[in-house]
This record gives sequence, C-alpha cells and structure tokens, in this order.
Amino acid sequence: MKDLAGQLRSLFGFSQWRRKRAQLPFDLLFKRFRDVLDAHNRGIEIITEMGETLGGDYLFDINYISSSYSRLFTSVQECLQYFDALTQNRYPDLMNAVRRIDDQITRVIFDVTSPSDRDIVFYEYLKSDMSRETGGKNAALAELKNNLGVNIPEAFAITAHAFDEFMAYNGLTEKIASLRKEGNTAEHELAGLRKNIMESRLPPNLETEMSKALTEVVSRCGKNASLAVRSSAEDEDGEFSFAGQFETILNVPVEMSSLEEAYKKVIASLFTANAMSYQKRLGYDIGELRMAVACMVLVEAASSGVIYTVRPADGANEVTISSVWGLGAAVVEGQTGSDIFIVDKVTGEIKFKRISEKLCLITARNGGGTIKTEALPTERNLPSLTTEQVKHLTEIAVSIERYFHKPQDIEWAIDKEGVIFILQARPLKLVEDGERRTGERTGAEGHRVLIRNTGEVVCRGTGAGKVFIIRKMEEIANFPKGAVLVARNDSSNFVRLMPYASAIVTDTGSPTSHMASLSREFRVPTLVNTGDATGVLRHGQEVTVDIDENDHAVIYDGIVRELVESAYRKTGGMDEVFEYRKKRYLLKFVSPLNLIDPLTDDFTPGKCKTIHDILRFIHEKSVAELVENARYSNSILKKHAAVKLELEIPAGIMVIDIGGGLNREDNSGSVTYDQVVSTPLKAIIRGMLHPGIWHSEAIPLKVNDFLSSMMRMSDIVTDNSEYVGYNVAVISAEYLNLSLRFGYHFNMLDCYCTKDTRNNHIYFRFVGGATDISKRTRRVELIASILKEFGFTIRFKGDLITARIANISHDEMERTLDQLGRLIGYTRQLDAVLHDDAAVERYSKDFLKGRYDT
Amino acid sequence: MSASRIMIIDDEKIVGDMAKMSLEQDGYEVEAFLNAEPALERLKQERFEVIVTDLKMKGIDGMEVLRTVKRLYPETKVIMITAFANLDAAIEALRGDVHDFFPKPVKIKELKTSIERALNKKE
Repeated sequence: MKDLAGQLRSLFGFSQWRRKRAQLPFDLLFKRFRDVLDAHNRGIEIITEMGETLGGDYLFDINYISSSYSRLFTSVQECLQYFDALTQNRYPDLMNAVRRIDDQITRVIFDVTSPSDRDIVFYEYLKSDMSRETGGKNAALAELKNNLGVNIPEAFAITAHAFDEFMAYNGLTEKIASLRKEGNTAEHELAGLRKNIMESRLPPNLETEMSKALTEVVSRCGKNASLAVRSSAEDEDGEFSFAGQFETILNVPVEMSSLEEAYKKVIASLFTANAMSYQKRLGYDIGELRMAVACMVLVEAASSGVIYTVRPADGANEVTISSVWGLGAAVVEGQTGSDIFIVDKVTGEIKFKRISEKLCLITARNGGGTIKTEALPTERNLPSLTTEQVKHLTEIAVSIERYFHKPQDIEWAIDKEGVIFILQARPLKLVEDGERRTGERTGAEGHRVLIRNTGEVVCRGTGAGKVFIIRKMEEIANFPKGAVLVARNDSSNFVRLMPYASAIVTDTGSPTSHMASLSREFRVPTLVNTGDATGVLRHGQEVTVDIDENDHAVIYDGIVRELVESAYRKTGGMDEVFEYRKKRYLLKFVSPLNLIDPLTDDFTPGKCKTIHDILRFIHEKSVAELVENARYSNSILKKHAAVKLELEIPAGIMVIDIGGGLNREDNSGSVTYDQVVSTPLKAIIRGMLHPGIWHSEAIPLKVNDFLSSMMRMSDIVTDNSEYVGYNVAVISAEYLNLSLRFGYHFNMLDCYCTKDTRNNHIYFRFVGGATDISKRTRRVELIASILKEFGFTIRFKGDLITARIANISHDEMERTLDQLGRLIGYTRQLDAVLHDDAAVERYSKDFLKGRYDT
Repeated sequence: MSASRIMIIDDEKIVGDMAKMSLEQDGYEVEAFLNAEPALERLKQERFEVIVTDLKMKGIDGMEVLRTVKRLYPETKVIMITAFANLDAAIEALRGDVHDFFPKPVKIKELKTSIERALNKKE
C-alpha cells in the first residue's frame, strides 16, 4: 500500500528536490508568478513590435535596433530574475542560454561575423541559424531536406568560416584589404589573386575536416561516388542568383587532392572580373562577400533539368519543366535542345509539351570531369520524362515554392532507378511588370465572399486551397499539403504544418501568440480571432484567403487565380537590400519558436535558440511551479482561513482566498456560490451545478472494484489532517487551484484566467478511481477524448492524465472551465459502468451533445 | 511626364538603401547619400523635388541641409527624419521651413504619403 502511495506521489511530481527547498508563502509565490508573467508579456510585445518594424514596412536604423533589443533584453532579465525567485534558482542553465543567444544577437547588431567556428557541416546538421555561414545555396537545400523532407543528395557545406581561415592562413586577407583600400580591382590584380589562391595551401584544420568529410561520404555512398562542388556565397540567395557567376566543378573524385583543387577553383571564381562587377552592383566591395562551398554527391542522372514554378515573363501560374538526357549542364548552358513541359499549377494538367531532338548529352567521365557525347539515334527524339515523372516533379516544385513563398528556379535530376533528386532551389527572378498593385482586388469578381474584415491579421499574403478543419490535435497528421488550415484555437502545434499550409484561419487567438510569431516566420497568410471560421467554412471547400497591405482580409469561395498569381508577382522588393537582410537576420535569434511541446525531452534551457524560446520556457515552468506549490503548500493553510463553500451538491469544497476571490462581509465559516467572485472557480462550479450533471445515486460496485478501492483509500497527497475529507480551492479573483477527491479518484485543476489572453492557462490532472484497471483505463480514455475536443494537449501515464491548454481568451476560458466542471461531475462514478470500449465512445458522444442523463 | 526626383541623406546605409528601393518601386528617381557634403554638391548641379534628410549627422547636419536647400531652391520640400531621442531638436526644425518630420522607425507608407503631398502642393 505504501508503495502505491509512493508511486502516486512521484506521478504528481512530488520528487526529492522539493522537499529540500524552503517553502515560500503561497501569496508571495503567486505575486512572483504574476511578476514573471508581466515581464514575459512585455518581452513578447517587444518581439512582436521588432518583427513588424523589421518586416520591410519601416525605415529603421541601428539606433532603433539596439534600443529595442536593449529593452527586450531588460525585460528578459527581469523575467529571469522573478523566475529565479519563483523557482528558487531551479534552472541555472537558463542564464547560460540567455548569454549565448545575447552573444549571437550582439554580433549581428554590431556586425561581428563568424559566430560559427565549424569548417564543415553535413546538411542534416545544418540549422537555419547557420545560413550566413554556409551560404544561401547550402542553407536552402538543407532546409528543404530537413524541414520539408525533399530528397537531396548526400551533401556537406564548407563554411564561410573555413574560407576566412583559408584566406588568413595564406596571407590573402591583408592583400585583399589593401586592394580594397586602394579601390583597385584591375583585372591583372584579380588574376594575381586567383593565382595566389590556386597556389595556396589548406590550413591544417580544414584539411583534417575535409578528409573526415570524404571518409564519411565514402561510408555513406561508396568509393565510386563523386562530388559536385559548387559555390554557395554568403549572400547567394534572396533575389540575387549570382547565376553562372561562380565556378561549378562536376564529378570530383572523392579524394583529397581533387577536392582541394575543386575547392580552390570555386573560391577563386569569387574574384573574376565579371563576378567582381556583379558584386559591386550589389553594394559589396572586394573581400566583403565570403564564399562557402557546397559539396554534393553527384547524381548519375538518366535525365535532368530545370523547373520554373511560374512563367517568369508575367508570373502566370504555370510550371515549366525543361529536361534533357544525362546531366543538367546541357540545359543550363543551352548546349542542346531540351524537352519542355508546361503544367497548369491549379489543375495539374499538362498544357503543353514539346519534345525536341536532343543530339547530345553530358555525362560523368571516368576519373573525373564530364564528357559530351552524341545521343543514340533511337533516343534523340524520345521524351526525356514520362507523364508520371512530370506530375511528380510538379508536385515537388509546388511544395518548394509554397515553402519559400516565392516562385522558384529549381534544378533536378532523376537517377537510373527513377529516383528524383533536387539539386538547387533559388528564388526565380521575374520580369518587372511595372504595374503597381492598388487597393482594389481585381479578379475576384464572381467569387462569393465568405468572410470579410473580421478577425485580426497576423501575417499578410494570399493563399488558396481546400479547407482542412482541425478539431483535435491528432488530426494534424492527416493535413494535406497546400490546404488552408482552419481551427477553433490557435496553437503552436501547428508549426509542423506551416511548411505545407497555404493559409491559417482560426476562430479565436491573438496576433501576439506563439503561433502568430511562427506564422510570420514562415510567412503563412494568417487570420485569427475571426469568431466563427470553423462554422462558416466547410471542410474540403476550396477557398482563397487574401490579406492585403492595408490589412483588409477577405476569404473568397473558390480559387481566385488572379489573386494567387499576383501575390507571387509581388515578391522581391526590400529583400533585395543587403543591409536590410543583414540586420533583419538578427530576428533569427529573437522571434522563432523552437520549444514547441513542453512534454518532450527537448524542452530544456539547452535547446533554447531564441529569446522567444527563453520566454516560452520561463512561462511554462512558472506555471508548473505554481501548480506544484499550490497543491503542497502548508503555509497557505496556516496563513489564510479556509471557509466552507455551501452548494446544492455535496462537493465539500473548502475555499482559501488569497486575494479578491470572495465577496464576504462577515467572518462566518461559510460562503455561498453567489459570494464567489473568482472567475475560474465560478465557471467550474457553474459547470458542476449544470442540470443533470451530478449523479447522486450510488452505482453498485462489484467485489474486485471494492477491493481495489480499499487499496487506494489512504490519503495519498495531503498532509493536513485538519482538512482531510475536504476538497480545497485556493483562489484569487483570477486564479484557481482546485483539488477535488470524489469517491476514489482525484482531480487537480490549476488555472489563471485574465483579460489578457497570453496569461491564461488551464492545467488539469486526473488520477485513479476505484474499479479494476481496465475500467479505470476506459475512464481515462473517455476523459481524454472529451478534453481533446476542447483543444487540450494530453499526456497519459497509467491512469493519470495531464491535460493543458494555454493562450486562450477570457471568454473561451470561462466556457472551457464550465465544461470541465461538467466533466468532473459527469465522470465521478462513470467507470463503474464502462464495461466495454464501445461505452467510452457512447458516453463521450453523449457528453459532447449535452446529454448527461444516460 | 518625367519621374519626380527624390534625394535621401542619411548616414546609415540601411536607411538610404531601403528608402531608395521602396521609392523606386513607386516610380520615383532616387539618389541616396551617406553624408551631406556630396549631397549638397550634387544639388548644385541639379534640382530635386523632395529631399529626405536625417537631422543628426556628423559634419553638416539636417538643419544646415535645410537652410542650403531653401537658399538654392525655395520650392524644394524637405522632409526630416530623426532618431526618436532627438524630438526636441525636431520640433525646433519644424519651426523652420520643413515640410514634414518623422521619428524613426518611419513607416514607409507614411513617408510616401508625405512625399505625394509635397509634390501635389507645389502644382
């Protein structure tokens, strides 16, 4: 029996550390909790403001950046200080995480480069915050591989840091500095520089790293693999393709001398006269652009080519695929005729097909390099792609375009087994159409308006697709690519869908939620707090969500092609300003949220990568701290008198008011429901009192039920003999911590319910109950299935359920708490009648339909 | 009708670059300068319809730019932008012949509206 109690204690988080720590008076604890929340909210507001100001709609200067970051940093420090007081320094690592992130941000603000000291990174370890070090090409491909699951050949990046080392080791940094000072980029100087590079030696570090990388490639792909070695200059993304500016070496054997030679050639190509004048045009002086390199295992291509995801001339919504036999260099360099397939992006049908005579093809030559050969006469006029392959390529291309929110120029290859690989993806430069978009939305005539100007704009843009309504979190798994996500509440769990979602619309939610910052990060057009989108929009219906630059938001019935197309035409713009991109880069360490799910092992200070992560961690752990302390705090009882709550039902609740929770004139030992002013307690009791909820008739227990409940009779969690047999509610005007034991099971609820959505949370724990284990499990299932309907995130452990929901509005909190009150009452004794699994579903349906009397 | 010509003077490259990019998208002809000396040299050669200048700069500051511009081309409108901290100085500037004034960060749309107004007023 003791063992069982011990187990339950540990399930409740009653672990060793807390016994050793001094207990704080609960009202002090609660005050600190609110201080943490206030500082947290100030921080989130500054993050939101910075995101908006650095979003391209404002002219800002370094003064703005440093002053707003210093405000942010101050609020983070305050938050951390209150948090440490609240948790009694339980998370010392958090300060280190803050220091680490602060260091990265300060480097960006003051333009100190090279935050990384790694020379080589394989793509699977290449994170988005390394994109400056690995260059645009590497970063985009690694992102597609890691986030979107696109098939990319095995590859590693040689970083810009390695480039710095290489140049410094060979005395070239000074040479370039003096050329820059003289403003001398004459061709003979450049030629001398290129020669120096080719004659230079690799720094020992880099040599070791390269040789390790080659060994790794051999172990993954075999000795016969070869590499494509290409430039990935620091800023070789955005609108600047640098197309054809730098060297690409194909079919480099996997051995040190060949890689070294190829590496130097690629680096040297940074200093050709053409590349230099191109760089000048973009505002770089010589030496300002650093060169990372991409080393990718060469695909032995049966066919390869290029895809444009829109028509570059006018942005029309069609995909153009060009394709040749063999390696793709033939397409890029225009060496032979190529097949053209034009696919309608909306319907997916092939609109146009031209099969050219492909006289020659380029293939890898034994021992390195490439060779141009004549195509077999029988193959010259055959299509180099099947209809199936065209379709498949289109799907991949469209998903990449959607991911980057920009038309794409994509290189691909299909190997001899028919496997498709993506070799490069970069923004497609469109021909300027000179026509400026004005406020009115042309092209939408004839489309019924489903929702107009309700809700709050989180992220502007246009997205179209089929409505997919998510009512329970597990439905996330079925979300189809390209759909419009519609849900009751916003949730940071949606981050998993953001690479695929065309738009997001929710009934509730706020523009400062965690999800909102993720939407902005992924640039998914997002509208929240629309009231009733889940009611107005039908599952499977095709819609177009359009939010223009004046924040006019309209959801049209059907796909409005003109809007979708012109949304893609609008790209570019401020992204072309290098200084702007450089400064905006600091947002990477501020606003993205990586700590999504507090129930995973990754929810640690060490995994915090941004200021937002830090604040999220603090928020989550503060709530946890409060929950545990409220439950176990003896000091509450010593300091505050508990009064009995008189109700029509025998709930036996003692109330301890720590501030503004009761409206009490006299000092009598009891209060009525009408005297409760605590919002959450009122809502819960209202639910419990709902007609039909309280089953008072005893349900017969069978013998084994009776025995198992005997085993669990002992007081497992409370040490206060004075209140044994009572249920305890610790309340303030906005707070409730409620411990309820009904019959043989135990509910614990902790919530904070304010007008500020971001402060709000509900934690709900349910454990135990009489009856045998299978019936207990059924009740747990029943409760879980109902809680999921209300949007809770659930975790099980035996017959313990932990459910949590946060960041929902005041009204939504009241509704949810009312339902929780009903659920607590409804399930009090139900497990005794849950004889089979079908009963779980039946009772769950009844409850959700408001039928409580079955 | 030829495009209106706008000059931006700000000692931070990012401000000039961003303003140039967004105003050019609207069809203006834009030249950006990092300090006032070469900007005023350029002004001697050619007239600009609107000058957007930072108030606080090393060397010649925004007030001096204002005076010089008004002496050379009384018709030309000057829009002053400044860090928020310089509000007092900005109010001072407004007493002079400034068309408009914005603390940074400046919403680009508002700057554009102000420029449009400056151009219309003249006609």
